[in-house]
Amino acid sequence: MQRLTKENDGSFNTIHSFKNNENSLNNNENSFITNSYNTTTFNNTTVNDRSEILAWLSPLEPRMRHRDIGARRVDSIGAWVLESEEFCRWRNGSREDDGSYHPTLFCDGNPGVGKSYIVYEIIYCCGGLKSTIANEL
Amino acid sequence: MCAEAVEGDPIVACFYFDFAARNEQSPVNMLGSLLRQVVSGEGEIPEAIDGDFRKEKRVIGGKGLQVSGILKMFQTITATRRTFICVDALDECVPESRMVVLESLGQILQGSPNTRLFMTGRPHVRSEVEKELGGAATFLFIRATGDGVLRFLREKLRKDTAPTRMSITLERDIMKNIPAISSETYVRARPSGAPP
Repeated sequence: MQRLTKENDGSFNTIHSFKNNENSLNNNENSFITNSYNTTTFNNTTVNDRSEILAWLSPLEPRMRHRDIGARRVDSIGAWVLESEEFCRWRNGSREDDGSYHPTLFCDGNPGVGKSYIVYEIIYCCGGLKSTIANEL
Repeated sequence: MCAEAVEGDPIVACFYFDFAARNEQSPVNMLGSLLRQVVSGEGEIPEAIDGDFRKEKRVIGGKGLQVSGILKMFQTITATRRTFICVDALDECVPESRMVVLESLGQILQGSPNTRLFMTGRPHVRSEVEKELGGAATFLFIRATGDGVLRFLREKLRKDTAPTRMSITLERDIMKNIPAISSETYVRARPSGAPP
């Protein structure tokens, strides 16, 4: 049986032979064989464990909705929110600044005014492509 | 413009409420989804979460994740990291769950001073946000701008799958009347103090 380990760049290129799947919680050999190419070790947590832990935290996948909104958005819709003083203070301010800083910004609006597109823009603006949405397994 | 890249390596987690998925979007699943995104951005699964997972696995038919457990794990990671949480369509979360979600998000903000929360929703849920987070929240009314409506309509018409069925007169009427109606709706709905 073989195990692949993951390099820093994400590629699978080092193969080790082993007999026991010591780090995995899954002791069923048949099931292990099926998933063996996914077994990458990060310290004591394997990729199998990692996927299982993420699924345990929640079965929901907001990135699907995020991508759908991104595909339908029109450039610059809601850009005025990103330019607003309220947004800049919310994004860049800190609790030490003064008493007027609030960690929450709530935007209310009637149906169809583009609230979801604004959320999309703000996610991008706060995290860009480094957003965890883009990296989620 | 406030659109420059955020300094450092912030954590960004988001959630889009959808009334059609209200049964699946329980407070535990919603908050767990935020935590899942935070964890997945880390190189390794934090020890505290790995430990809780292993403990849970050992108990057959364990009680599963609880809101209190999620909040504890969340704060373990975000206590010192700059974190942005974005939640869309709060009004599409069922009222009973909404109160739990708002209270939980308030607790996350209290325990994680570097965390910021952005939310959207229809005007009728604003009072609930004020009640739960009022002292820690800024409110901004979103309206459709005339220019934004025009660009949106142009894009929709450009992507029309049956453009030959659209007469020039109808297209002209759409481009003239819909922005006017949108603007009128906005003026009627706009509270005092909202941006022009």
